[in-house]
Amino acid sequence: MKQNYFLAKWLNGKISESTLKNYASEEEIRSYKKIIAATKELKTPDFNIEETLEKIKLAHYKSNVKKLSPIKYIYRIAAMIAVIVTSSYFISNTNTIYTTNLAEKTSFELPDNSMVNLNVDSEITYKAKRWVINRELDLKGEAFFNVTKGSKFTVNTSLGKVQVLGTKFNVVVRDTYFEVNCYEGLVSATYNNKTIKVPAGSSFKILNTTTQLNTHIVETNPSWIQNESSFKSMPYKYVIDEVERQFNITIEYNTTLNETLFTGNFTHTNLEMALQAISIPLNLKYTIFSDNTVSLQ
Amino acid sequence: MDKKETNRFCDEKNFSNFFRKNSNSLYTYIYYKCHNGELADDIVQDAFLKFWSNCHKIIPGKAKSFLFTIANNLFLNEYSKRKVAINFKKTLQKNYTNESPEFILEEKEFHSKLQNAIMKLSEAQRIAFLMNRVDGKKYKEIAEILKISIKAVEKRIHNALLNLRKEIDNI
Repeated sequence: MKQNYFLAKWLNGKISESTLKNYASEEEIRSYKKIIAATKELKTPDFNIEETLEKIKLAHYKSNVKKLSPIKYIYRIAAMIAVIVTSSYFISNTNTIYTTNLAEKTSFELPDNSMVNLNVDSEITYKAKRWVINRELDLKGEAFFNVTKGSKFTVNTSLGKVQVLGTKFNVVVRDTYFEVNCYEGLVSATYNNKTIKVPAGSSFKILNTTTQLNTHIVETNPSWIQNESSFKSMPYKYVIDEVERQFNITIEYNTTLNETLFTGNFTHTNLEMALQAISIPLNLKYTIFSDNTVSLQ
Repeated sequence: MDKKETNRFCDEKNFSNFFRKNSNSLYTYIYYKCHNGELADDIVQDAFLKFWSNCHKIIPGKAKSFLFTIANNLFLNEYSKRKVAINFKKTLQKNYTNESPEFILEEKEFHSKLQNAIMKLSEAQRIAFLMNRVDGKKYKEIAEILKISIKAVEKRIHNALLNLRKEIDNI
């Protein structure tokens, strides 16, 4: 069926009002008429043709004079060269890498005097020469940051991104476990395109894609800085992994305990004490063999 | 190709004539889009400036459509974010005698209702409708400017009026 735009035709004078009555009720027609009459009274703001024309002429000749000047092009070329030189300087930079092995911790300073403590089996990569304009680094493992105030400071990890301005915070990324603890200031963590603000005294934890925001921290530093690892409701396998990393040992244990939750601490300075700390709560006994393996039963 | 003809719009006198003929129409067109007189003023100026400095590229017979395209692009690029409420100046009333206060109030109410309803129309419907009702343009002219068929203009105006009544009568 062909669409009939009777209202447009009526406005146009193509159909008469009596024909319109075939399509619309009298009341409707009265409304339409009222609208039409009212729209006739509408006016746009005044537009001054001659005044605008003068302005345009003025601007037109002004810009045409400018175009003849070669100085503009010299500036453009100079700016282009400057961009190429500076960008090639920054692009050609190589990465600075800090790594720790099993049972090895380190601490170092970034170019802006921000302090980094790197826990065992971790790695930090950044571009030293770009640091002034772009405070950004990549992290594998666990590290504690004491950032000096300044521009945005970004920590990229395989699981999420952490951004701050100046603060103390700890980042862990191990397998599917990602945790940000903030001790001072405010950090923002980005995970799966969602950004979460983590204020001082809080932690943001992602474990197997479940996220959790806690406000329980009372310490001023993460415990591992004082050679102790502490866990709160962590699956046992992450605890075992951490003991293995801290002492460079291999632990044999019943893997059915993998998902059992563990809360507690262990020291990094004494293997026997550490093993007691993780075995007694689960009613296990440990045996240390000579080849750096431990069995838990 | 006749070079004189192609560069017709570079000449100041010809440009001025073209400006006088089309500037108001361009101004109202942009005004229906951005609802702001100052912005529309700026866009008209920028569009004509660009038109003039590109006068060598203009194909005869396409000048008007070229101008509207420039203005439309300027509008989309720079001003689309700065939408403000449409505000039509109401022309002074003719000399009614013996207007009761109720009548004046009713008139005012209806006018503000109409403005709201116009704002709620889609941009396409609003532009076509106001070009016809306020500028007094024929459907054919509107079709040329908007680069659509006359049938499409009729459809937009028809639907605009339908929607206005629905909005005003609260249906």
